[in-house]
Amino acid sequence: MPSLMTPPSTSRIQVRPAAEREGRKDYISIRDYGFWYGQKKALEAISLDIPERQVVAFIGPSGCGKSTLLRNLNRMNDLVDGIRHEGDITINGRSIYDPGLEVISLRRRVGMVFQKSNPFPKSIFENVVYALRVVGVRDRALLEEACETSLRKAALWDEVKDRLDDSALGLSGGQMQRLCIARAIANRPEILLMDEPCSALDPIATGKIEELIHELKEQFTIVIVTHSMQQAARVSDRTAFFYLGKQIEYDTTEKIFMNPSQAQTEAYISGRFG
Amino acid sequence: MATTDEKPVPAPESRFTVSPLTLAADRWMGRLIRIGGVGVVVAVLGMLGFLIFQVFPLFVGAKVSPTSSLAVPAEAVAFGEDEYGEFPFVVRRDGSILFQRAKDGTKLLEWTPALGERRVTAIRSYPRTGLVFLGLSDGAVQEVRVVYRSTFDDAGKRTVEPVVTPLEPVAIGRAGLPCVDVWDAKGPQSRLLLVRQEEGGKPLLTAVRLTERKGLGGKGKVTVSAPFVVAADAASVDQVLLPSTAESLLVIGRSGEVRAYADDGTAFTFLQSFTPFKGAADPAVAAAGLIFGNVSVVLVDRAGAQQVWSMYPQLQPDGKSLRRWGKIHEGEPLAGAGQGIYAAVGNKCYLAAAAGRLQLINMTTGTVRWEGPAPAAPLRQVAFAGGYDRITALTADGQLHRWAIVDHHPESSWRTFFGKIWYEGASAPAYAWQSSAGSDEFEPKYSLVPLFYGTVKGTFYALLFALPIALTAAVYVSQFLRPEYRQVVKPVMEVMASLPSVVLGFLAGLWLAPLVDPRLVSLFCAIGILAPAALSAGFLWSVLPQPVRRQVKPGMEFLWLLPFLALCAWAAWQAGPAIESCFFTVKDTATGLPIADFREWWRQTTGATYDSRNSLVVGFVMGFAVIPIVFTIAEDALSNVPDSLVSGSLALGASRWQTVWSVVVPTAVSGIVSAVMIGFGRAIGETMIVVMATGNTAVMDFNPFSGMRTLSANIAVELPEAAAGHTHYRALFLGACCLFLLTFVLNTVAEILRQRLRERYKVV
Repeated sequence: MPSLMTPPSTSRIQVRPAAEREGRKDYISIRDYGFWYGQKKALEAISLDIPERQVVAFIGPSGCGKSTLLRNLNRMNDLVDGIRHEGDITINGRSIYDPGLEVISLRRRVGMVFQKSNPFPKSIFENVVYALRVVGVRDRALLEEACETSLRKAALWDEVKDRLDDSALGLSGGQMQRLCIARAIANRPEILLMDEPCSALDPIATGKIEELIHELKEQFTIVIVTHSMQQAARVSDRTAFFYLGKQIEYDTTEKIFMNPSQAQTEAYISGRFG
Repeated sequence: MATTDEKPVPAPESRFTVSPLTLAADRWMGRLIRIGGVGVVVAVLGMLGFLIFQVFPLFVGAKVSPTSSLAVPAEAVAFGEDEYGEFPFVVRRDGSILFQRAKDGTKLLEWTPALGERRVTAIRSYPRTGLVFLGLSDGAVQEVRVVYRSTFDDAGKRTVEPVVTPLEPVAIGRAGLPCVDVWDAKGPQSRLLLVRQEEGGKPLLTAVRLTERKGLGGKGKVTVSAPFVVAADAASVDQVLLPSTAESLLVIGRSGEVRAYADDGTAFTFLQSFTPFKGAADPAVAAAGLIFGNVSVVLVDRAGAQQVWSMYPQLQPDGKSLRRWGKIHEGEPLAGAGQGIYAAVGNKCYLAAAAGRLQLINMTTGTVRWEGPAPAAPLRQVAFAGGYDRITALTADGQLHRWAIVDHHPESSWRTFFGKIWYEGASAPAYAWQSSAGSDEFEPKYSLVPLFYGTVKGTFYALLFALPIALTAAVYVSQFLRPEYRQVVKPVMEVMASLPSVVLGFLAGLWLAPLVDPRLVSLFCAIGILAPAALSAGFLWSVLPQPVRRQVKPGMEFLWLLPFLALCAWAAWQAGPAIESCFFTVKDTATGLPIADFREWWRQTTGATYDSRNSLVVGFVMGFAVIPIVFTIAEDALSNVPDSLVSGSLALGASRWQTVWSVVVPTAVSGIVSAVMIGFGRAIGETMIVVMATGNTAVMDFNPFSGMRTLSANIAVELPEAAAGHTHYRALFLGACCLFLLTFVLNTVAEILRQRLRERYKVV
């Protein structure tokens, strides 16, 4: 076993300096959060604050609970049977488990992009405006404007503007994922959750999406789960490293990749396990 | 890893060779599977081929071919023959009868009447009954009976010996005037003998009734009534048509006026008169003939125009409905002036002779089944054999011509099965299915249209009931119910699908129909309340405070919904009689007292019928047969919608219902369409429920409270009693063929639709 004390080798990884922006430092606040699937404890004693309009990456080996935590931020895990949690998650000071808060309203506030792109079997236009449609927007002009804005933000407009009425299933893999991003931001949520958004994409598509994340950061708070160290380093301001359901380290990306305080973190990012 | 125990790797050559056994198995299994696949196609095509093979003869015309022609004395004016046509006889102008062997023309027997001073002036022979009537110069009529006596010798050889028995002449007409023509007919009580004489250029028709009283033993005694004059008011008499039942009489005048008389028991009273070719240049009737059954007459004018008149109930100016003659068809015009109309025996065909052509025509459908040249010499008498297998005609040049008929389905044509037909005796053209009745003269009606109608009606009511339930249940079970309950519900529904439909039909006919009958309003209320009750339950649920709602796990809400629905339905059922007395009180036709009865209300308000075994009961129970199939397939389709789409929709802030309606259902729509189509196919082909739970009446109305007869039920009910090869039998096969094509087309359309939808909503 290599020593965990050896300094991290960071030569492979390009780290972006953390851009400190104005906004709440504890926009999303996770406090002593534990989570069970039935008898299996998936998360234990997680406590971290996510500042407003920053990109936070969750990294860690498979099964470490990073996706579970992400999916709990908009309560997508509610669909699973026999779940239980302890502790609390607040967004802008309000608990997401507040009985007065409808889970639907939470999800309108917290958008999500999945690992596998999942466009609906509808036209491109209908995919993008879906979130507006479910809110009840009927005004065609408004829908068209939202569609164009979202597709432009998702850097897809130029590629699809002539075939908005074609099926979304005719797009390429990278385009589909960008369409899913456009769809997620169409109703202007406050937070965007991304669950390994580039894992099924080729490097060019990945690059485009990473560019996109940079631009979206201006408006959204983004939490991204990724298996790619390089991606975490490239896109995120802060990084949390999880291992076996525990939060090992959470700090600025610069710190995590240059000078991690935990040996496990160092071992993971330098590629010695995971 | 231990390397010592490892077996030596096979030599490289054998490692890479494929065993011949593997290849052979691969090849043979491939062939076997191909045989199976081809076998299915062959089986289906074979079925269609068999059906078409059975149906095809229906659409083949008659084959009529001249067989022989026998030289008889040129002065022969009438003929008769035995059943097989082996020993025909002709009656000469002088009344003598000559029997000849048909094969070689050898003379068998000759009989001459012993009349003394009197002469024979009129002759009529009825070949089917073997009766010959000789009208005499003094107005009397002598009946001569011809019987063929068969004897068998020791070798089993049959010898036929004609026996001629003359009866005593009966005085009928005005004494001293010669008979011009003579007719005989057998009524239910008595026989009628009618003679025509000429008195100073004016026609005179006189008749007597012969009543035979059977004694206790021995021969009956025949009483002859006093002669009475009939149709004295007819200005002129050109032709007289006396039906074989003697119940009426048609006298056709030279002007083309047809006068109808009816026997009221004592005399022939005038019924009506009509001029069929009134507007024509020459209104005279050139030829006329009564059709088998005696209620229709075919009339042809000198230009060849044909009309068929029939007796059917007609509304009279005084409001009464009476059976009167009326025109029911106008046939295809003949080539020229009608020379004769000769009716077949046993069906509604007739032979029309005009302008040197003979046409075998079916009166009901108007189809010309055969056409051929007529003999050169004028026809004296034409008769069909009883079995509709032979036509015999006597011509003026002393030839007895014969034709063999091969026409197994004289009543069939496209119009018979699919067209609106004015059957004789009916008041209007109709689509009718009525394959059998008590009398031989009955004309079977084989219209498949009411059966199609019944099929569509039954299917409509079944699907009206089944589709909403099955599809909403599928959506609920696949999208809202907790998985552990889903695992129970689905197999239970599949067991329901395996319930034999005869059991469902039995329940429907013997249990449900009588149960529902008196509580119809209650049932409607109970069913009608379910949807509003479910909606209000949902509303009540949504206004309950969160803590209370959290007590119930998501997907378990039905635990509270079900008792609520049951309670509402029970209350509505109980309220039924009160509602019935509020809205459906009518005056009882029998007692005049007001009664609360929906059935009576329905009859009186809509004028439609109410049957206990009606479409609603069938729809309800057939719905039960259809629900499991539709449910299972639709549920599968809905469950197969990827979770990623559901998650994607939910993550965008859509509610469960929005997700189901705008993502899950459109994605699963191809599966749902095939579920609906398979349910449709099942309902169309369903037999036992319809047989048992409806009255099987081939009605043509969409009244939910009347029964129906479907194509499939029709086959099940009638095929066992249809004679193989008969028109009825083949008509049933035609129904089967139509059913086959119907389901084939429907399934094909459904499959195309499904493929298109799948293409449109395919999921990556």
